[in-house]
Amino acid sequence: MIQEFQAKLFNEAQSSGFTDVEMYYEKKEVFGCQVYKGEIDQYEIAEDGGVSFRGIINGKMGYAYSEKIDDASIPFLLDNAKENTQIMHDEDIEEIFAGSNHYKQGNFFSPSINEIPIPEKIQFIKDVERELLALDPRIVGTEYCGIRTESVSRNLSNNKGLSLTDQMNYLYVIVETIVREGAETKTSFEFQVTKDFHRLNAMEIAKKAADEALSQLRSRNIPSKEYPILLRNDAAASLLATFSSNFSAENTQAGISSLKDKLGMQIASQKITIVDDPFLEEGLASRTFDSEGVATKNLTLVESGVLQSLLHNQKTAKKEQTETTGHAHKDSYKNAVKVGPSNFYIEPSTTPFEALLASVDEGVLITNLSGLHSGANTVSGDFSLAANGFYLKDGKVQYPVNLMTIAGNFYQLLLNVEEISSDLTFPLSPIGSPSILVKSLSVTVE
Amino acid sequence: MLNQSLIEDVLTAALSTGGDFSEIFVEDRFTNNFTLQSGKIESCLSGRDFGIGIRVFKGLQSVYAYSTDFTKEGIIKAAKNAAHAINGKTIIQLAPLVKESFETINPVQFLPKEVDKTRKAAIMKNAYDTAKNYHSSISQVTVRYMDEEQNVLIANSEGKLIEDKRVRSRMAIQAVAVRDNQMETGFYGPGAHQGFEFFENSNMDYFATEAARIAVTMLDASPCPSGKFPVIIDNEFGGVIFHEACGHGLEATAVAKNHSVFANRLGEMVAPEIVTYIDDGTLKNEWGSINIDDEGEKARKNVLIENGILKGYLIDKFNSRRMGMESTGSGRRQSFRFAPTSRMTNTYIAPGKSTPEEIITNTEYGIYTKYMGGGQVNPATGDYNFAVMEAYEVKNGKLGKPLKGATLIGNGPKTLQLVDMVGNNLGHGAGMCGSQSGSIPVNVGQPMIRVSEITVGGTKGE
Repeated sequence: MIQEFQAKLFNEAQSSGFTDVEMYYEKKEVFGCQVYKGEIDQYEIAEDGGVSFRGIINGKMGYAYSEKIDDASIPFLLDNAKENTQIMHDEDIEEIFAGSNHYKQGNFFSPSINEIPIPEKIQFIKDVERELLALDPRIVGTEYCGIRTESVSRNLSNNKGLSLTDQMNYLYVIVETIVREGAETKTSFEFQVTKDFHRLNAMEIAKKAADEALSQLRSRNIPSKEYPILLRNDAAASLLATFSSNFSAENTQAGISSLKDKLGMQIASQKITIVDDPFLEEGLASRTFDSEGVATKNLTLVESGVLQSLLHNQKTAKKEQTETTGHAHKDSYKNAVKVGPSNFYIEPSTTPFEALLASVDEGVLITNLSGLHSGANTVSGDFSLAANGFYLKDGKVQYPVNLMTIAGNFYQLLLNVEEISSDLTFPLSPIGSPSILVKSLSVTVE
Repeated sequence: MLNQSLIEDVLTAALSTGGDFSEIFVEDRFTNNFTLQSGKIESCLSGRDFGIGIRVFKGLQSVYAYSTDFTKEGIIKAAKNAAHAINGKTIIQLAPLVKESFETINPVQFLPKEVDKTRKAAIMKNAYDTAKNYHSSISQVTVRYMDEEQNVLIANSEGKLIEDKRVRSRMAIQAVAVRDNQMETGFYGPGAHQGFEFFENSNMDYFATEAARIAVTMLDASPCPSGKFPVIIDNEFGGVIFHEACGHGLEATAVAKNHSVFANRLGEMVAPEIVTYIDDGTLKNEWGSINIDDEGEKARKNVLIENGILKGYLIDKFNSRRMGMESTGSGRRQSFRFAPTSRMTNTYIAPGKSTPEEIITNTEYGIYTKYMGGGQVNPATGDYNFAVMEAYEVKNGKLGKPLKGATLIGNGPKTLQLVDMVGNNLGHGAGMCGSQSGSIPVNVGQPMIRVSEITVGGTKGE
């Protein structure tokens, strides 16, 4: 059916004056279940998808999308794409891509995930909740306790003969635990993402979720001042994710990233190497081709602190007379082609987390950051974020600290990284990091 | 959008395994999103979102299925998929569907699809020019334009059948100012539940100028000091603090399971007497207004806190079961991809008696925040944080130097108790609120208020 739709769309596009055309089709299957006090609370099952049309008419690229895939949508797509080119002023011509010479195969789809019977998945998440609630009387419940699987397939084809497909799936478990002791309430967010359901252990997940929440109870005040900061892997990854758009050539060219004109310069401590790996098997943004159909490949953005490359699509590359890095990106068929990373992370060292911890005479361990969408200025790099964490003394965790803010500048922080550890993690995100030790940041305690 | 016999078939199929309530939500939405940067429109996206969401309840279990497959077989399959998760004995009969009508509280003059795109481009260009020409230090301006027409049909096994057309228009202006190595930004993003007339009837030049003025002002701002200070929060988007600090905690999503700090406290004094907090979905053409919610309930004005006393919560149909309380017309969702849950509409603190001048004059030392950025709250703990976009020092009752880089943190219920002055200049600001049922348009609002103490996390040490 989708092939017929495409043939008709391309035909009618050419009759309406489009020279080059492309269709991107995405299809998704979702299953999710949340439990509450031993019963199914929310259950979700879905199949959805949509098409995105791009085409060149009068030398300009027009876009439109539809989730209703029927004959009546064809004039809707073509008329809107055409009208949109009439108000575009962009002189930088986007091109429909004829194809790369070679596409490396990827392995992002695990049939076993889709074969697990639904009752087995539901039983598993009920087990997690039961184990969790039995661990400690201070655990009063969960804000969210759920299991979810998603499968996505993508297809990109154009009139230059390109037809590419890839698919991925994953299963994840999320547990948000609430603990209470006296007047104090704390929460934790524990997750596991996997392609192999049988590797998950309900007790292990429950234990981690409980420990993370309980360890925050009986928090205390510490003086507000500058402290050496140990950013735990998940907190470091969320900070990196907030500023990752600065590595996009689209942002440097628009003058809204401070990495403009910094190629070849030391932008981070020598300890920092940042890479982008589209072939990571368990990665959440793995892909064999980018949103323009360009073959993806591994890329080193920062090597020992020196900026080696930015992320490019065809359009940004052309502006700088360089090659696309295969990072054309659209969030879904609803979006325009922009620039975006795949699995993007700070390379881990071989030093264990414990060694970093042991090296801190006095400092603060940050385990969670919030307000990232509002408290960080991606343009200037300044941030002031709400944080949870622990007071460190003599290389040991002493006690949890009341709600804090940590403030600083992302670019300054990159330069002030003193050590990184081996514990790379991707916190439900394609952007990952190991734990990092930073010289100092300003801490304010409530 | 769907004929009545198919709706009945779907609702019946959804109940075939013993559910006690079924509902269908059909959505057909047309959107335009344009971006202008460096003086040129560089991205134009138009599209159509279309899909169906089917919900089945059995007691305190809720099942949701959605699909973009609009064929009869596809929709029935989704209903059966949902029913599959239910295991009950009693099969209930569908009540006869009765089509409901209502008078719109959000009249629209010009539907977006009837307005030529060149006119949309022209108002973007005007906003760009106004912001860019404000000052020589403005290096970049990004203007985003958005319009949408969302057509919905909602029907359920209790006999409800209702349709609505929601038209929204918004523009967001971001300006960047540069001096030497320093870059600062300013933002303004007005929106309305209204057609293209919104742009023509509003003072877009003012909004564009404000975005540019904030960016330029911040070039001269000093790092904000850290510590605990009296904080004066101005009107409009300043209301985001109570959106975070107490609005989310009053949603049934958090209250029904006793997770919220406000659960089981109806009738208690939760704020000083000068605080009255209202969620009103019926304000004409406001960004967060709705004729009906996404469960087909008419919008209403819900008084949540009256003169400091907790009066009510925001309740959706499913949580009303757990709580044993009526729905308040607060069931909202981003799209057919989300089951609805209790959410805010236009939430605000009612105006008090103080003039803004009185509030500032009466403050010996503190921080005055003119514009807020966004924020976040953990409803279980009540801990919130939010960013300040434009702030000033207050010294001896007068406004002093601009400050930057401040984040306010604290605990919602505690901060609420510390409100000690409420101004008379109520204003609303448009925003997007993200939660369980996705990202939805809401207004936050308040007059100028003063809180006797908030923890300010600044970039300047003690």
